[in-house]
Amino acid sequence: MKVVSVVSAKGGVGKTTLAANLAAVLAAAGRRVVAVDLDPQNALRLHFGVALESADGLSRATLANMAWQSAMVVGADDVMVLPFGVLTAEEQQFFESHLDENPLWFANGLAALRLDADDIVMVDTPPGSSVYPRAALSAANFAVNVVLADAASYAAIPQMQRIVDTCAAPRPEFLGEGYVINQVDQSRQLNKDVLRVLRDMLGDHMFPGVIHTDEGVSEALACNTTVVHYDPLCQASTDMRACAAWLLAALGAPAVSRRSVA
Amino acid sequence: MSTVQSDSAATSSGSPLDRIANARIWNSRVVVAILTLFSLCALYFVFTVPLENPEQLVFAVSCFILALLFRRVEGRYAMLVMIMLSVIATGRYMYWRLTVTTAWASPFDAAWGLGLVLAEVYAAIVLLLGYFQTAWPLHRKPFPLPASRAEWPTVDVFIPTYNEPLSVVKPTVYAALAMDYPPEKMSIHVLDDGRRPEFKAFCEEVGVNWTTRTNNLHAKAGNINAALKITNGEYLAIFDCDHIPTRSFLQICLGWFLHDTKLSMLQTPHHFFSPDPFERNLGTFRKVPNEGELFYGLVQDGNDLWNATFFCGSCAVLRRSMVEEIGGIAVETVTEDAHTALKMHRRGHTTAYLAIPQAAGLATESLSGHIGQRIRWARGMTQIFRIDNPLSGKGLTFGQRLCYLNAMSHFFYGIPRLVFLTAPLAFLFFGAHVIQASAESIALFALPHMFHANVTNSRMQSKYRHSFWAEVYEAVLASYITGPTVLALINPRLGKFNVTAKGGKITETYFDWAISRPYLILMLLNLLGFVLGFVHIYNNLHLPSEVNTTILNLAWTLYNMLILGAAVAAANEHKQVRSDPRVAMKMPVMLRFSTGRTLACETIDYSEGGVGVALPQGIQVPMYENVMVSLFRGNEEYAFAATVSFSEPGRAGLHFVGMSKAQEFDFVKTTFSRADAWTSWADGRQPDAPLRALSQVLRAGALGISGVFQHLYSDLRALVRRGGRPTEQKDS
Repeated sequence: MKVVSVVSAKGGVGKTTLAANLAAVLAAAGRRVVAVDLDPQNALRLHFGVALESADGLSRATLANMAWQSAMVVGADDVMVLPFGVLTAEEQQFFESHLDENPLWFANGLAALRLDADDIVMVDTPPGSSVYPRAALSAANFAVNVVLADAASYAAIPQMQRIVDTCAAPRPEFLGEGYVINQVDQSRQLNKDVLRVLRDMLGDHMFPGVIHTDEGVSEALACNTTVVHYDPLCQASTDMRACAAWLLAALGAPAVSRRSVA
Repeated sequence: MSTVQSDSAATSSGSPLDRIANARIWNSRVVVAILTLFSLCALYFVFTVPLENPEQLVFAVSCFILALLFRRVEGRYAMLVMIMLSVIATGRYMYWRLTVTTAWASPFDAAWGLGLVLAEVYAAIVLLLGYFQTAWPLHRKPFPLPASRAEWPTVDVFIPTYNEPLSVVKPTVYAALAMDYPPEKMSIHVLDDGRRPEFKAFCEEVGVNWTTRTNNLHAKAGNINAALKITNGEYLAIFDCDHIPTRSFLQICLGWFLHDTKLSMLQTPHHFFSPDPFERNLGTFRKVPNEGELFYGLVQDGNDLWNATFFCGSCAVLRRSMVEEIGGIAVETVTEDAHTALKMHRRGHTTAYLAIPQAAGLATESLSGHIGQRIRWARGMTQIFRIDNPLSGKGLTFGQRLCYLNAMSHFFYGIPRLVFLTAPLAFLFFGAHVIQASAESIALFALPHMFHANVTNSRMQSKYRHSFWAEVYEAVLASYITGPTVLALINPRLGKFNVTAKGGKITETYFDWAISRPYLILMLLNLLGFVLGFVHIYNNLHLPSEVNTTILNLAWTLYNMLILGAAVAAANEHKQVRSDPRVAMKMPVMLRFSTGRTLACETIDYSEGGVGVALPQGIQVPMYENVMVSLFRGNEEYAFAATVSFSEPGRAGLHFVGMSKAQEFDFVKTTFSRADAWTSWADGRQPDAPLRALSQVLRAGALGISGVFQHLYSDLRALVRRGGRPTEQKDS
């Protein structure tokens, strides 16, 4: 089992979309993929055609002391989906304190799924440095850090890097982190310039391509599906496939030495 | 000899032939000397032993079967065996031809006969020199530059121009700027002999040097020499103003100079991305190797073995100190490039050739322009032959002398080619017996010579020149280069530099009567001879020897007519649809539509004005739609605004709009200057098969002949209608 945690310091950078699409591409390539939503927004499932009304998820299962399998559904594109579930405000507070007290809760929960060595778990997280990304990173073999080619993303990079360094890097099974630059439009000069700065800064620790801005991505979500499913010919889909190939290579061949980019 | 180890020396295993050839015994000079002497004696006997017809038949057939068997064996030694068999066949033929068949019965026969013998001697010499020159192409690989960029040398990039429009020069300047080389070590100079203000403005805007001089003395050579005086880089890279370099040019070319301190010049191929007039008019573009490919594919690579690569004026790097040592680029002849290399060779410096296309340009537009350029080469090489003959003088090795000799004598093909195209007519028209032998004997000696030469050359030149096409190319040029070469032989001072017009557009299909007049006349003569031959056979049915001789001459005439037909077809100037030639190139491209939706697809081709893209699954885009087109260079992406100018299911043509200078630069960076832009040019092309090549030439010949009559008909009709001369059509 390889756990890939998709994180970002800032919100609205397209983490959930990236996690869903990478999961769909890897599943289409014949891997067994579990898409796990560790974000109380509970939006990952929407990319896989899971009904909006459904309230089940790993949070409710945990609170009810049930196995996660009970909340898992087979979504579109043959991806196994484990939604976060719907919690009331009090339940969520309780759940988060539970998480805070049991740092290994998430890792143990994943282990209990008894997946094969080649299976991939794609974990979506909320932005920032809350308990959720900490839990996801504590279980991760690889961290995908999603950024935009803009000044705010650039400024927030060290913040997330510190969390990765604390929660994930010390564990021997952690292979490293890689940055993915999302929503790029190179006909805009600022985008181009920031992209160049990011490339200089991140070096090898990034997906060498980019994910392009694409209206097809929004349309896909409106249709409750992934863009690779909705419009396989568009640039974003091509980028997602390239990114998935890069991710597989990163999972297969561990980086020899990790270098902090912060 | 060169400093490079040939690639086969390392392969001790391999075929039995390789093992024999790599045996240690060859290191002994004594063994080599004895064997050489023995081989020469043996060759003498093989050439001269007289055989009766049946015996000669057995010998010739055995040799030819042997050649066909070796043709199936891989490797260079098998090729050397084929060359030897061809030398034997040619040697036997020439010995027999010179000793047995020259006892002409009358002065009339002798006059015709002598001409043919001389032409054949010339052809045999050029054949043998060609074998010598190309028997073992060096296949040199690039030598890497030092890892530390601090050790890289300084380079001046020269782009000489005289009257070419700025639009032709721009991509070259952009591509020079895009070369991967430390900017502080590279200095780009546009050498403007036209002294044009718009060139100055452009150069200042993009940040390259614009240099000029007060006169135009010695044309391009003088232009470069003037620039040498005001620059100081350790090396100079020279590009004709329409030869667009790839980004890797300097890094690929400079390594050898640091490794071989005697190296004075390194040449790379001249590659053309637009069809030359032969290719356009005969429809052979990218299917049949063009006229230049033999030279850049094989001849220069063969020269490299003998340290005899010569400078071709563009797409090359020279070491400044050595150029200055010989007083700058040579100005004595109109082919300053080859003469410059010769002078440096005489000083003991080496030259090198890398057969990797690292620059590309526009081919000459019209047949008349193409011929003009070849006339200049022929005239210039003849001038060098006269004023600085490579056979005499100091400083050259034996191999260099022979390579230069072949390069020059190659251009004397004018008269011999005309002789071959008319020789059978001497018999058919006048009954002259130019070869004093029976038709059977001629066949028994001449056919092996021809077959072996064809089979051997077909193998050696397989990728670079298809069988029989040399005859077509030479037939077209023969009537035009004969005069200039003869004049230059008599007086080398005769000769004027003509700049070839490029980048124009032939707007209408037309037949160039003026340029094809010589071959039309030759064709009519051959046609007449063909008819007379049949009459002659009919009148001499009782004389078998006369019938056989006539049949032999008729076959020769038929062959000549088809070669001439192909030559005529080359003069049938085909309409050119676009002024910007399209370069076929498959590379990823992203289209972003005004809706925000995108499409990831691949290009089919590009030109300076836009790209053609293949759309998956038969998608069609609306005409005149605005699209953003993104092209990539590595991970860099460049976006261009475009409109759809052509649309059909699965394909679209996108025309760029409102390009800024920066975008023009970006476009060149993502297209012409890609390191791999030209490396797979010949992919998918079939290697030579003599019979297929013959059928292609025959088809071209037949089309040419029928084309003449079609154009004759339409031009005559136009003439009658207008009651005057047909309108003069000219290429712009």
